[in-house]
Amino acid sequence: MMLEFMRNKLVDVARLNEDTLSIHGVLDDSIYNLELDFKVNINDLVCSAIEGRWLRWTTPQCPQALTFLKEADGFCLSEGIDNKIHKTVGRRACRHFANLFIECAYAARETVKLLHWQEAVENEPSLSFKDFLEKDSVGGIPAADVMEPVEPVKKPEPITSPVVSEKSSGGVSSVADASFIGNDGKSDSTGFVIDLHLHTSPASPCASSSVDAMIKEAKRIGLDGICLSDHNYVWSPDVVRDLRKKHDFLVLRANEIVTEQGDMLVYGFYEDVQGIIKLAELKKRVAAVGGFVVAAHPFRGFLTFGADDVGLTTEKAMAREMFKWVDGVETLNGKVTATENGLAQNVAKGLALTATGGSDAHDISTVGTYATTFEHEINSEEELLSALKEGKCRPVTFR
Amino acid sequence: MSNNILKFSMNRSTSVEKINATCLRSVCRLQDSFTDAEVAIEVKMPDLEIVAISGHLQHVYNDEVKNLDERLQKVIGIRVGSGMLKIIKGLMGEDKNLEQLVYMVEECCHGVILTLTKKVLLKAPDDEAGKFAFYSKMVKKNIRLYDRCAGFAKGTPLVAELEAEEGGEKA
Ligand SMILES: [Zn+2]
Repeated sequence: MMLEFMRNKLVDVARLNEDTLSIHGVLDDSIYNLELDFKVNINDLVCSAIEGRWLRWTTPQCPQALTFLKEADGFCLSEGIDNKIHKTVGRRACRHFANLFIECAYAARETVKLLHWQEAVENEPSLSFKDFLEKDSVGGIPAADVMEPVEPVKKPEPITSPVVSEKSSGGVSSVADASFIGNDGKSDSTGFVIDLHLHTSPASPCASSSVDAMIKEAKRIGLDGICLSDHNYVWSPDVVRDLRKKHDFLVLRANEIVTEQGDMLVYGFYEDVQGIIKLAELKKRVAAVGGFVVAAHPFRGFLTFGADDVGLTTEKAMAREMFKWVDGVETLNGKVTATENGLAQNVAKGLALTATGGSDAHDISTVGTYATTFEHEINSEEELLSALKEGKCRPVTFR
Repeated sequence: MSNNILKFSMNRSTSVEKINATCLRSVCRLQDSFTDAEVAIEVKMPDLEIVAISGHLQHVYNDEVKNLDERLQKVIGIRVGSGMLKIIKGLMGEDKNLEQLVYMVEECCHGVILTLTKKVLLKAPDDEAGKFAFYSKMVKKNIRLYDRCAGFAKGTPLVAELEAEEGGEKA
């Protein structure tokens, strides 16, 4: 046996005085070595005086991370803080500091539970730790002061009739030529161009621009339409109809659904699916209502290390279980590398699956980086669906 | 007050070994004042699919996880990579007493990713100029790294080349 990698993390908690804990964390692995020191107030779990140190790091810029650690000063380390640590310490400083900080926060919470129990035992010697925590379900720990963005109200409404676009027939006229099909990634945008994959806030918690802002931007850059594909979210047909009227722009609905085999974009399927659904089951339900399933960014993160490093060939990729269940493959996605899109293109071609493109934009700056161009004008979700099924479309670089 | 005596200590160790030509085994072990736990996964190349998993968890105050092995087996077949966390959580469940176990599965997966990262980083030159060029190229090839940490933040030296190219292309 030969060890390829090892990461050790060590966290110590001492009680500095009546009100304060002192936390010391070390992360030491084959690549990095870093340390964190800070204080935590026992009564409210608020942290302060965060100091970090690097002993080993990678890029010449890593040392800059230390200056951003102080952004976590004042965080209340109650349960549910992990996401905020990822978003601040992880994004602004370094994900490895965030990883250690999360361990330290856990250690601080556990220690506070222990201390509160020890206090309680002084009055009630027979009180076990477990009973104490059950009685006081949070072990004397304050509730989280950080709330994640509130999920918007979801109103799944089955669509009863095709939604007719209010859009006048502006935009690019459709051109059908011989090179139309199977010509991925060519940087032109003739035809009727729709960004089939984008996210809006607050429907997708990870997005940051509103639906109005996204539509305005799509219009400004000359797209012919967009398809709202928020995560596990069903837009109400009425809301979308109003948006279309308000902006005089084609707005359609999709849904990006998490399955055990990754994210799937579904078109023409308006069931509100929550949690993880098995891809086979999703396919069954989508097929039952005549919808269309597209594997979103199927190789996202596969090739971070270069295809050679993991030995993923087109043939092996084509054999993946997921491709047995999908109707199409997103071969141009704005959030993955050129190599990852390239592999998706080869797979789509090899399996003769419809190829689509979408920006996967989460804010206005990336709307329309990639899109899908259709041979004919699309005016409704039904028209979109039949164009996808007939394969009368191809992905394009748009912006 | 004996403030030099620890109130709580924890030690988490994740190690990755190659068990054969196409399989990595990643083990995460945790020992802290209240917990003793271990999770091990086996991941098959090239698509980094989880093909085996096992584990145990003992905890001072949390209830025992009744069907622990069954819960763990649910992640068989998923792929180590971006987006895996919400899949792992969704499949294993989000019960309070499972949180630690879910986190340890995630740590095993990170171990696998870091093992592959290490192989790439071994190719980085030792001199400053060489390093600079190496990491500038890395962020260009992996756009997901852009603006995701201090090292590759917007407007910083390592992303200057990438930003110049993007600006030129998109203006
Ligand atoms: Zn998306």
